[in-house]
Amino acid sequence: MKKHSLAGDIVWYIVSILVVAVFLFPIYWMFMISLKLPEEIFKSPPAWFPSTPQFSNYLALFTDGDVLSLWNSLVIAGLSTLIAMVLGTLCAYAIVRFKTGGDNLSVWILSQRMLPPIAVVFPIFLAYAVFGLSDSYPGLVLLYTAFALPYVIWMMRGYLLDVPVELEEAALVDGYSHLAVLWKVTVPMARNGLIATAIFAFVFSWNEFLFALILTRTEVITYTVQISQYFGSQSTFWAKIAAMSVLGTLPVFIAVSMLQRYLVRGISLGAVKG
Amino acid sequence: MTAVSSTYIKTGRPFWAGRRGTGLAFVAPAVFIMLLVGLFPFLWSVAVSFQDLAGSNQTGNWIGLANYKKLFADARVWAALGRTLLLLAVALPLELILGLLLALHFQSDRPLKRLFVALIVLPAVVSPMVAGSMWRLMLDHKFGPFNQIIAWFAGEAVVLLWVIKAHLAFWAILITEVWQWTPFMFIILLAALANVEREQLEAAEIDGAGRFRVFFRIVLPAIAPVLGIAVLIRALDLFRIFDAVWQLTRGGPGNKTETVSIFMYIRGFQSFETSYTAALVVILLIVLSVAVTLALKRMEITR
Amino acid sequence: MSDLKISGVHKHYGSVHAVKGIDLEIPSGEFTVLVGPSGCGKSTLLRCIAGLEEVDSGQIEIGGRDVTSARPRDRDIAMVFQSYALYPYMNVHENIAFGLRARKMAEAEIGKRVRQAADMLGIGPLLQRRPRELSGGQRQRVAIGRAIVREATLFLFDEPLSNLDAQLRDDMRAEIKRLHQELKRTMVYVTHDQIEAMTLADRIVLLRDGVIEQQGAPLDLFDRPKNRFVASFLGSPKMNFIPATLTGNSAKLADGTIFKIAVPQGNGPVLLGIRPQHIVRAAKAVQASHTYVSVPIDLVQVTGTRALVTVPLGGGSVIADLEVGPDCMPGSKIKLDFDTARMTIFDPQSGEVR
Repeated sequence: MKKHSLAGDIVWYIVSILVVAVFLFPIYWMFMISLKLPEEIFKSPPAWFPSTPQFSNYLALFTDGDVLSLWNSLVIAGLSTLIAMVLGTLCAYAIVRFKTGGDNLSVWILSQRMLPPIAVVFPIFLAYAVFGLSDSYPGLVLLYTAFALPYVIWMMRGYLLDVPVELEEAALVDGYSHLAVLWKVTVPMARNGLIATAIFAFVFSWNEFLFALILTRTEVITYTVQISQYFGSQSTFWAKIAAMSVLGTLPVFIAVSMLQRYLVRGISLGAVKG
Repeated sequence: MTAVSSTYIKTGRPFWAGRRGTGLAFVAPAVFIMLLVGLFPFLWSVAVSFQDLAGSNQTGNWIGLANYKKLFADARVWAALGRTLLLLAVALPLELILGLLLALHFQSDRPLKRLFVALIVLPAVVSPMVAGSMWRLMLDHKFGPFNQIIAWFAGEAVVLLWVIKAHLAFWAILITEVWQWTPFMFIILLAALANVEREQLEAAEIDGAGRFRVFFRIVLPAIAPVLGIAVLIRALDLFRIFDAVWQLTRGGPGNKTETVSIFMYIRGFQSFETSYTAALVVILLIVLSVAVTLALKRMEITR
Repeated sequence: MSDLKISGVHKHYGSVHAVKGIDLEIPSGEFTVLVGPSGCGKSTLLRCIAGLEEVDSGQIEIGGRDVTSARPRDRDIAMVFQSYALYPYMNVHENIAFGLRARKMAEAEIGKRVRQAADMLGIGPLLQRRPRELSGGQRQRVAIGRAIVREATLFLFDEPLSNLDAQLRDDMRAEIKRLHQELKRTMVYVTHDQIEAMTLADRIVLLRDGVIEQQGAPLDLFDRPKNRFVASFLGSPKMNFIPATLTGNSAKLADGTIFKIAVPQGNGPVLLGIRPQHIVRAAKAVQASHTYVSVPIDLVQVTGTRALVTVPLGGGSVIADLEVGPDCMPGSKIKLDFDTARMTIFDPQSGEVR
């Protein structure tokens, strides 16, 4: 370990704190607006702190029933993550251990993740209209599952590669079937990776906007769509945007802070090991 | 022997051979769902793009390549494409350079470093649509703090109509993107830097190489593969940018901040030009699929 | 009655022909060691026996049953892996019981067998520990324990000692030998280490490039190697090979030295093979069948009570394994006694014994 000079330390900390301030300020601002009274939101020049922090903006979300959109987000992201985890882990296992499909399958799966959602969702929208899947849980869950799958497969591919193959072979010799080996040996071995993958997959679905915007109307709108509907210049809208954003972002922050160790792999599609 | 046989296992024929059936059964459900939303829309779009379906015309006649011809002659398409690429060309290097500088800065181990890193990363996990909302509030010309902060530095009151004036709206989008995704580049590059072999650096130091030389000759080549992946991911994200733009400007004023995705949304879902949009879908999917597959294969991402 | 019978087994990995038509029959209760240099196909053969690799052609019988296309779990085998393959999230008891649970054995019986195995291996007090809380040697014992509770027809060991340090390796080698004497089960053991092969085996199967070079009792192979490869693989330091020309019962070296040969082997160029242990310091008494040579010492490597002494001879150099003495100094002259009766004579072209 190199020794740092005092001057170097001071400069380093000043720069670090400035950088942190720049990146956190918009989040801070959002949070402050959510605590302000409507008349304080529209104050020029802006007030840096709410004079009397209060939660009526949040309360309004409950009384107006807007929090239902958070529930919708939870159901859709939760279900699609669950399905994608089960199917994606199976698929990743076959790719890693049986080399099913070879490199071509892996590359095709990853390329699926990188296609522009708008191009995919357009025909889906019309098909859903025909099959009555628009504005329904199953419709969104199916689409979100499909978009979570490449992510789950690539993440799990990385974590499964880390499981020593001899452990599985030992279990095979000891008398277990492939499915039993996967369940009793591989899954416990990759448990942390599995949890991290699930949470990141959930966060991506939870944060998604475009699909939800196009495929929901009234019944199952998600929190991101709900926010986009508060578009206008009344202060009540600003208050709601802020409060809903805070509610939608807070769980993500909590989840990610617990997953610092997995963050790099999580956001780089498993391509970079942190 | 062991070393040799384990490399066989990694690269050779299916391991635990004879389990092909099990493998296919494990892969099938996931692939089916991906095909359902990957292949089907493409085939459907191909079929529709040769017709003249629209909101006002639900029955559709076959009109050959007319939509494609119209597409190539449509100045608005080219403008949206140009704008998207311009955004990509400005935002990506900015994020990359800022991210790299930050990563180099946070390479040194000091107390609180982990906390700082954890905080800086937060924007990258915010929903892009929420990020757009945050900056919509930040950049409001009257009630947002951004103009206020600029005014401090300028020493006089500043009223910049960020999301209203066309030339500023582009910057508003750029600021939002750079704010949200520099942390992404930062955290990935920080990890990549940490993975550079210490012994290589120490050997270079003993050999008397200067800091710049070490950086360009050893560090940069070592992190190049990671850099490539990060750039690919971000480039494709930027190309399909929608959420933040939607929340900031909805493509306006007029269509001055329309990106490819916004353009398609407006044509497909607001003016219901079904076949016309389908033609654009087809071209986009073909061009991007080829580009992405080539890029991924070239990077040997499967190792 | 044989517990393992392999006939005509071939295995390819892509363009690599790893196992080329192996035939092998192992009698019940025998300890067989598959040994050979890297890439000789010994691990592949073991994995084929275990069913972890499918053979391209040929047949494998275990306990008189054809298991060529059976799954690993249906072969009645137990296996110890090089990396021990212990499950880190299970304690020692659960690790050992894991294979028994797969076979739906009653818990009481499982408990009994686990305790028995643990006592036999001296890991009784460790049953509640996790693998990461164990030393390398203890982990190795758990891995062996997991295999022996299965009471399988056939036990397979894939280089089980190669992750241990030298000291522990010696201890565990003795342990495995003792275990075999107690259990009297059929065991097949893969290693690249000729000392393990020599000390453990009832029978050594020496492989090279996917074929069996020679098999038999360790001393058989050591004293009567079929060819130069077998002779040089077994024994440390390696056997010396000295080019010579044979005429009747004398062999002339390149530097003019003449070795007397007990039994004439024909005429022409040959390689004389003599083990470093069969060269001694010349004593006062002279024996007729021996050859004595006075040479200057080039190099001395002292290993404790012994010294490996390199001397020039016949245009090359020869290593002798001598007792340490004051004459073991580079530069000093030494008179060496070659027991020519223990020499092996090889054909220089084919490498086969003449």
